[in-house]
Amino acid sequence: MANKQRVKGAEALLMSLIAEGTDIIFGYPGGQVIPIYDHLYDYKDQINHILTRHEQGAVHAAQGFARVTGRVGVCMATSGPGATNLVTGIADAMLDSTPLVCITGQVPQTLLGTDAFQEADIISMTMPITKWNFQVTSASEIAGAVAKAFYIAQSGRPGPVLIDITKNAQVEEVDFAYKPCIYLRSFQPKPEFDPALAEKAVEMINRAEKPIILAGQGIKLAGAEQALIEFAEAGNIPVAQTLMGISSVANDHPLCVGNLGMHGNVAANEMTQHSDLIIAVGMRFSDRVTGDLKTYAPHAEIIHVDIDQAELNKNIRVALLVHADAKDALEAFKVGLKYKDRTAWFAFAKDKAALEDKLVISCSADPEGKQITMSEVVQRLAVAEKSDAVIVTDVGQNQMFGARYSRFNRTRSFVTSGGLGTMGFGLPAAMGAKLGVPDREVVCIMGDGGFQMTMQELGTIMQNRIGLKMIVLNNNYLGMVRQWQQLFFDRRYSFTDLENPDFAVIASAYGIPSRRVTEPCDLEAAIAELVDAPGAFFLEVIVKREENVFPMVPAGASLSKLIFNE
Amino acid sequence: MNKEYIVIAFTENQIGVLNRITACYLRRKINIESLKVSESSIKGISMFVISAYTTEEVVSKLVKQIRNIIDVIEVKYYNEDELITQEIALYKISSKLFKENGRVEAITRHWNTRIIEFNPQYVVLEKTGTREEIEELRAELERGGLLEEFTRSGSVVIHRDSIEEILQNKIDSNV
Ligand SMILES: Cc1ncc(C[n+]2csc(CCOP(=O)(O)OP(=O)(O)O)c2C)c(N)n1
Ligand SMILES: [Mg+2]
Repeated sequence: MANKQRVKGAEALLMSLIAEGTDIIFGYPGGQVIPIYDHLYDYKDQINHILTRHEQGAVHAAQGFARVTGRVGVCMATSGPGATNLVTGIADAMLDSTPLVCITGQVPQTLLGTDAFQEADIISMTMPITKWNFQVTSASEIAGAVAKAFYIAQSGRPGPVLIDITKNAQVEEVDFAYKPCIYLRSFQPKPEFDPALAEKAVEMINRAEKPIILAGQGIKLAGAEQALIEFAEAGNIPVAQTLMGISSVANDHPLCVGNLGMHGNVAANEMTQHSDLIIAVGMRFSDRVTGDLKTYAPHAEIIHVDIDQAELNKNIRVALLVHADAKDALEAFKVGLKYKDRTAWFAFAKDKAALEDKLVISCSADPEGKQITMSEVVQRLAVAEKSDAVIVTDVGQNQMFGARYSRFNRTRSFVTSGGLGTMGFGLPAAMGAKLGVPDREVVCIMGDGGFQMTMQELGTIMQNRIGLKMIVLNNNYLGMVRQWQQLFFDRRYSFTDLENPDFAVIASAYGIPSRRVTEPCDLEAAIAELVDAPGAFFLEVIVKREENVFPMVPAGASLSKLIFNE
Repeated sequence: MNKEYIVIAFTENQIGVLNRITACYLRRKINIESLKVSESSIKGISMFVISAYTTEEVVSKLVKQIRNIIDVIEVKYYNEDELITQEIALYKISSKLFKENGRVEAITRHWNTRIIEFNPQYVVLEKTGTREEIEELRAELERGGLLEEFTRSGSVVIHRDSIEEILQNKIDSNV
């Protein structure tokens, strides 16, 4: 234990964060956190505080940071409106298992419950969207609360936690000593692995002719990328990724058969439907992955590995439940595993990939080549970045094209709002990601709708000289909703068309080099300019207005009922 | 099939746990029939007893989600017949009727009730028993037009096997 030191609560908070390894905080000040900001002023050399333009930007930035680094993202806001502005990001982090410590100021303890100025009951409001939250009302609780917060946020299945600190606790004095939390009797983050389950699993896998691995984000969260590949190679088993699992396996790995779900690849989805054994690891059978549950994977037995016991048998009944850390399980599954040729099974994958290529990929949405298509932009970007960039997306068609056509050669390189599907996530999350891995190229792909939900963060990018590359795929539509209207609502485009400003000019107003392209012939050079730019660069691409994302499994339909065109 | 399931949870005695637990029911739009929180036989650990009508499939998932609440140490669900359950109920009857209606005394004796207050306006009877017994007495008094007011507690339960022993072992083995 460190020597005791007499400090104010606000300073104790910063010292606690530093003790947990925090060197960057995304935040926004206000009345009930001024004491903390006052001390931040003295800690500039140890904590880089990034002032965002909106608290939603702060929380998404912390998410982006956490997703690419695997570390806990920290954000801070004042009481009342500051705190409520964090809510969307916290809900997003909860669904996408992102470790966050969110700190909010609160009115002094004596005013709690009185409807004081800027009082909001953020503890109640965030109860269902945090893994844990706690209100600190005295300085003596701060170090303990921070220790517990970091432990809970990053242990087991990660998630967001929130500490609400009343103003009096920030200004009171306390004898500071920090002790990290390593154990809570009511919380068992890592289940003990039962070797008997591995034996059973291996027996099932060795029996299977057409197995497939479904890799979710749990692979990244457990650091199980290597274990996954070794396991897959040992049994010669194809690997498909969920949206959140993308980049856990390199796209060019021969066993990688692509993405699952609503806009996934034909091979991955069809293989699910024809497989005799599904080995699902660190994924949760979300409705966007399974489609109609009654017709899902009709021939398969399922082995489900997850660290969260509440996910097992939640959406789908499985043959073998493995409550375990993904890495522990995959390492154990390798033992005694038989290599099989599976020639026919891989030929099936190849056929389906060829079908997708024929029906979707190589048939441009704009055959005459007069307009730029979104798929073309993402494909060209992937080539120009040599599969080595971090790709952050917003939500909508841009996201699905981003997921389908980006290419990755290493893990933690694809960041998207999966569970909540939060428009406005992209730009701030990409900003946080770039600050987390400053030596990597980070590109944010957005739609014209989502960009306008958080585009004020261009100010943060300007002020902090964040070398982020930004692409707005401008179709002048809320494209994904328009696609549904076209396909399922008789082309009645009710309130989905957008009249937009000149985005490139807006970026320029922030001093960010920018370019706007409208002609297909200019695209390649524009992307090259973006890739080569030494710092931030903003590219607006005017794309074909009515391009659709295919293939598609309509919501609630069977995975076997893929649609390929309008 | 919907039936009554009783969830018993042992938790740290922390503010907010109650809300987190009830929120699990709320999310799935399950109405809680009764809920009781009290200190367990182990100091600092609270015991929740929650009864609700739902299906086994739903209650099993619900319990897993409750288990994920950080401050929850142990949680299980039970069929009613796995537990010894008692409730306490109070019945208020006007003193006039109590004295004049010849049946009251017989009823109260038959149902093993206890008079806990007797004043010129009303009599309060107390009965401990199963939910069914309590409801039967209530129905009988209501039929006779005797009942003025009625209230009952949530379930007080004890498991046929010792769950607290299991809990204590769990806490000890975790240390
Ligand atoms: C905050 C929020 N509001 C609404 C939606 C519903 N929604 C999903 S995609 C979409 C359209 C997105 O339009 P745009 O950002 O232009 O992207 P595009 O689909 O055109 O690529 C909408 C409105 C959402 N996901 N998030
Ligand atoms: Mg759009």
